[in-house]
Parts: sequence; C-alpha cells; structure tokens
Amino acid sequence: MHQAHIVGVGMTDFGVHETPLTELFASAAFDALDDAGVGGAAIESFYLGNAMSGQSEGDTHLAPTIASHLGLAGVPCQRYEDACATSSNAFKHAVRAVEAGQHDVVLVGGVERCTTTTGLETPEMTSVFASASHRQYEQPTGISFPGVFGLLTTRHMHEHGTTEEQLAAVAVKNHGHGTLNDRAQFGTETSVEEVLDSPIVATPFRLFDCCPFSDGAAAVVVANEDVAADMEADSVAVTGIGHATDVVPLAEKEDLTATQSARDAATQAYEAADIGPEDVDVAEVHDCFTGAEILAIEALGFVEDGEGGKAAVEGTTALGGRIPVNPSGGLKAKGHPIGATGIAQLVELTEHLRGEAGERQVDGATHALAHNLGGDAATTVVSILEGDA
Amino acid sequence: MSETHSNEAAESLPEQLNHRTWTQALREGRLLGQRCRDCGAETATPSAACNACGSRERVTIELPTTGTLYTETTVAVAPQGFDGGYRVGVVDLGSTRVMARLEGDSDIGDSIELAGVLEVDSPVPVFE
Ligand SMILES: [Zn+2]
Repeated sequence: MHQAHIVGVGMTDFGVHETPLTELFASAAFDALDDAGVGGAAIESFYLGNAMSGQSEGDTHLAPTIASHLGLAGVPCQRYEDACATSSNAFKHAVRAVEAGQHDVVLVGGVERCTTTTGLETPEMTSVFASASHRQYEQPTGISFPGVFGLLTTRHMHEHGTTEEQLAAVAVKNHGHGTLNDRAQFGTETSVEEVLDSPIVATPFRLFDCCPFSDGAAAVVVANEDVAADMEADSVAVTGIGHATDVVPLAEKEDLTATQSARDAATQAYEAADIGPEDVDVAEVHDCFTGAEILAIEALGFVEDGEGGKAAVEGTTALGGRIPVNPSGGLKAKGHPIGATGIAQLVELTEHLRGEAGERQVDGATHALAHNLGGDAATTVVSILEGDA
Repeated sequence: MSETHSNEAAESLPEQLNHRTWTQALREGRLLGQRCRDCGAETATPSAACNACGSRERVTIELPTTGTLYTETTVAVAPQGFDGGYRVGVVDLGSTRVMARLEGDSDIGDSIELAGVLEVDSPVPVFE
C-alpha cells in the first residue's frame, strides 16, 4: 500500500463571495496546485465536495463543470454529498485511491455558498440545512439544524450539568482564535455576556453559539510517497482516516450525547495512525454550534465524558492549552461553507505541521487531527496527519 | 385504554409498516412501530430491515401513547412553512424513542402523552 501525503493546500477567505462556484473553487484549487508546485496536467483525478448546490443554486453535475473551468476536463471526476462532512468524504476517497495505487496525484476540494449571494434568505437556507434530517419522520416536526444540535446539547446539559456559560466559553475561545486568522469570517473577540445577550436561534443556542452562513472554497493536492519526495513543498502524511455512520432518525440513536459515529471513526483513525488522543498536538473539530465542540472533544477522548463543558472555560482547548482545538477559529469564527469545511480543516492543520500558521501556530506540532461531522452526527470522518518533527 | 380497545387495535395492525400505514395509524391516534423478529430490537418509525442485526423480519407493534420527555429544544428561527417559537422533543417510549412536536411546558423526565397530529408537512405526532 502507498502512503498518501498532502503536498499542497489552498483556501479562499470564508465570508461573502459574489463569485460563482467555479471561480470561487478555482481560487482555492490553483493556490493548492501552486503550493504543491504542480500544473493541472499532473492531476489524474478530481474529488469534489459540495453539499447543496442543487438546492441552493440550481447547479448540479458540478464536478465536471468545475474541472472544465480548471482545465482538467477529461479526468475522472466525482462529487460527494454528506451534509457538513461532505469534503472529508471526498478526501477519504482521494486518499484511498492514492493508497491503492490507482492514482499518483489527485486534486480534492470543496466549495459552497450559503449566504444571500445564492439568492436565498435565512428561512429558505434554514430549510436547505434542515433537509439533512429525515424527510418523513423529522423534517415535518419543524426541526431546524440548530434544533437538532439543541436536542443533543440539552440532553448533555441534563446528564452532566453543562451550562449556557460553558457553551458561551466555546464561542469566546473560537472568536479569540479567529482574530489571529485573516481568512476567518469573524475577526473580532466576543464575551460570555455578549453571547448570552444574543437572540435565541434554537434552545440552548443563541445567535453567537451558532456558526455563520458562509461562502468559500478549500483544496488540497494528495500524492503518493514517491511524488511527495520529489516536491519542493513540505508534505504531511495522512496516517489515519476513520469514517463511520449512525442511525437516522436521531431518536433511534442509542445515546444522544455520545456522537457514536465520531467515537467509531476516531477509533479507526487512531488505530491506523498507531497513536492515541494523548498524542494529538492540535485539532480542528466540527463546532457548527458551541455544544457540538463539547460533544466532539469527549468523543475524541481529549477529555472525559461529561467534562467537555469545562474545557473551554479552563483554557484546556485554547491556544497554549493542553490540547488546542480549532486554532483557525473553527466553524464558529472562521465560517462554515458546508462542502468546503472538511478540507479547510486539513488546510489549517497542514499549515500547523509545516510551522506556517503564523500567530496561531501550535509550536512543534507533529500530530494533527480533523473531526468533520455530517447531519445529526449520522456521519463523522476523522483524519490524522503527521508532519516531520 | 380499555381491554376491548387494545384487542381491536391488535387485530388491525398492518402486516407491513411503511410510511403510509404509519401515517394512517397516527391519524387514528395510534403510534405504530416495529419489532425485529430475530433480535427483538424495537423502533418507532418503519425501516425495511433491522439496524441491530440486519434481519428483514419486521413485526408491526402498537407503541404506548404515553412516554417521558427525553430531550427538547425550542425552535425560534424556523424553516420555511413554520412559524418559530414551537418546541420539538424526543419522547422515550420505553423500548424506543420518537421525535415529536411538543405542546405545553414539560421538562426532561416528565410524563407526556400523544395529544394529536401536526400536519404542516406530512403528519408527525404531537405530545403534551
Ligand atoms: Zn434485529
């Protein structure tokens, strides 16, 4: 089996982009190709993550369209949809193809627009997001996606005494990290008081507990060990990927606070990389809502079950803490263009492993973990990257 | 619920539970679910096979119409077609759970019962 490496990374600023999906993605993709020092002719296959363009922009069969815009027409193209875990799933398949020797160099990325640039206002986009719930047995209750995580988080608060102030501390931490990231949608600090004063979206979440609607794109070039060795840019090894699912509708999940798919995916990824949670130096986790980060750090084994609420309050997960989580600002501050999010996590982590993360650099990081969750935690992909010490 | 009523209910259980028969029963004030003939796992909404063991041997069962509130959220910013400010919850029915619209101000752990059907979209249970 070959060893897959990330050999080039690129991403756009996250925020509001008037540019079409093709042009938005090209900006990230060419940055990734240039970073790797390869031209389009080297790309043997294209793996695209995009969750919603059919619903939000009336645009389908997107992978060959985007490939054509990039001058890649002719290569095999595949497009993935897995709600918020969309581009991590694309990444998994790209890595598997390189590991298997099917391809030597591939391009993988994600792109999405979720702001009013799509022509959709908040109620319409809220419906697009809610469509990840079960069509017959969940959507007709009027559940929104903040509501889905509200159900999981309310249960965590009931079982473990997690408080609204602890949720707010996650937003404060990630906004703080976001101020150090010029690609982040929110570059300003917030406070527990400001979070708690913001209007309710779905209890227990207020506006400042929720990630924003975002536009953006991210891309990486994945290559085997031989190609990676010949490249000028520092490459990082993809040493483990775990991918697991759980039952939909969520009422039938055995445990609503476990995010079991994340536990199963993490177990697979740790085993493949031959490390444990204590070996991870830096992590990007799926904080679509503040409560989601608390569930994630427990599922990944960074803290004990039930202790997740304290982590942000005590600084455990802040830059400089025991296990820095979401140095990019996370989905909360960096932004969450659904189909681009998983790859954007890998862009951030690659920069940390290369020592190129600037003010938010986790010094000496050699092991990095990305946790990208889809739907009501029915899908999670966990990826582990290793750099040179 | 009287004994006669239960017997009538038992007699009229659809052999195959699907979205149509589940919905029909819900409109009659009944919650139908499935039990796996092979491993016994129960669910509150129909599926074609068991997620615990993979068996396709599904037996339609009558679920209790009272349960306890397992978790809840108040949706303020609503999807299209809904007016925000309502509560959605997960109801623990003992052997399984179901998502429902909530009326009233029940807390987690409170006993609640099936009180009607919400038909903004396709029918779903309302518990109070
Ligand atoms: Zn079974």
